[in-house]
Amino acid sequence: MKNRDEAAFAYLYDHYSGALYNIILQVLNDTELASDVLQEVFVNIWRKISMYDAGKGRLFTWMLNIARNASIDTLRSKTYQDSRKNQSIEDNVDVLRPGDNTQLGIDTIGLRKVLEKLKDEQRRLIELAYFKGYTHEEIAGLEQIPLGTVKTRIRNALIQLRAYLK
Amino acid sequence: MNIQEYISSGIVESYVLGLADETDRAEFEQYCITHPEVKAARIAFETELEQFALVHATPAPAAVRAAVMEQVAGSVAAVAEPAPARVAGIRPWVRTLAAAAVILFIGSAILNIYYYNKYRESSQAYDRLLAQQTNLAKNNNLLQTRLESSRQTIAMLSNPNMKMIKMAGNAVPAKGSPDTSSMAMVYWDMQSKDVYLMVHHLPQPAADKQYQLWAIVNGQPVDAGVFDMPDTSGMMKMKNVPEAQLFAVTLEEKGGSAVPKGPMYVLGKT
Repeated sequence: MKNRDEAAFAYLYDHYSGALYNIILQVLNDTELASDVLQEVFVNIWRKISMYDAGKGRLFTWMLNIARNASIDTLRSKTYQDSRKNQSIEDNVDVLRPGDNTQLGIDTIGLRKVLEKLKDEQRRLIELAYFKGYTHEEIAGLEQIPLGTVKTRIRNALIQLRAYLK
Repeated sequence: MNIQEYISSGIVESYVLGLADETDRAEFEQYCITHPEVKAARIAFETELEQFALVHATPAPAAVRAAVMEQVAGSVAAVAEPAPARVAGIRPWVRTLAAAAVILFIGSAILNIYYYNKYRESSQAYDRLLAQQTNLAKNNNLLQTRLESSRQTIAMLSNPNMKMIKMAGNAVPAKGSPDTSSMAMVYWDMQSKDVYLMVHHLPQPAADKQYQLWAIVNGQPVDAGVFDMPDTSGMMKMKNVPEAQLFAVTLEEKGGSAVPKGPMYVLGKT
């Protein structure tokens, strides 16, 4: 892959594009935007492949994080634009609940479906941290809970989430 | 902390999903190196996550694949080549810069020592020159003074109004001079009546004695001033004497006397 062999890259695309498209969709909830982001993500993978460090994780993990970060960046700029039209970001956070996704039908697939099995409180934390990209500090401020508690609760929620992946 | 507790604390999941903060990430990466079981736990979760994601994949629109492959193919020449070169090139560049910085630093340190020594040498040389210069200035002043006194002497000697009276030890009558080889000259300006004395030879007086010049006017001695033995053979200005037939020098008590009491050393006729 590091040789930038196009055939290998094509294989990588064919093997993982669906998985990455799914995670992008789950963050953005918008197929058109998600397609743009997916394209951007794969071009970035191609360009930054020499920065991938196998010692820190598997290739899929690296690609997944690129996809998630790109999605959150897009969401942020989109949310920012929306909030200028509508209300504040904070209101948006409250509005964006799993239920909203039924319009697109994507809540029936992937991580979000598993998320529904979690307790409300845990689901909300994962929603903010993983799908909205809020930092622990931001969540602590938003939810009015101590920073240490945010960290512990997120970790517990992730452990719970993992149990449901199987 | 027990390593199993650490593994099951949720750090593995939070690291892999990109939710761990900087500190936790660094710590976890360190544990992965030092504890194979932590790395194994990480790989296990990564594999589970990948399997789950592959199973729950959503087929991407075909147009995206075409767009990506087109962009990638177009960028092979432009992007693929410089990128590895850049990554590989960073270290030698930094190394060269660091080496240059070290060389510059050492060079600068050497120059500092060199210039400090130079400065010290120059500073000492300057002090020496300053002392020399002060000495020269002092000598110069002395010479100037002597030159001035010589010039005055010459001016007086060449003055046509100047009368020269030789006073000798062997001219002293009666008991005679205590030192018959004594000799002194009086230069008397006949216009201004100023009197100058030049001593050629007189014995060194005792500390409580002083020589005194007398003008003898109609047989009466008139004080013309006391004098110390001059350091050099310069001229000493004495008291103004309007009239006199004789000049004489006696040795008196320090400070001089109203009338001559001590022995006469020299005498001369005008």
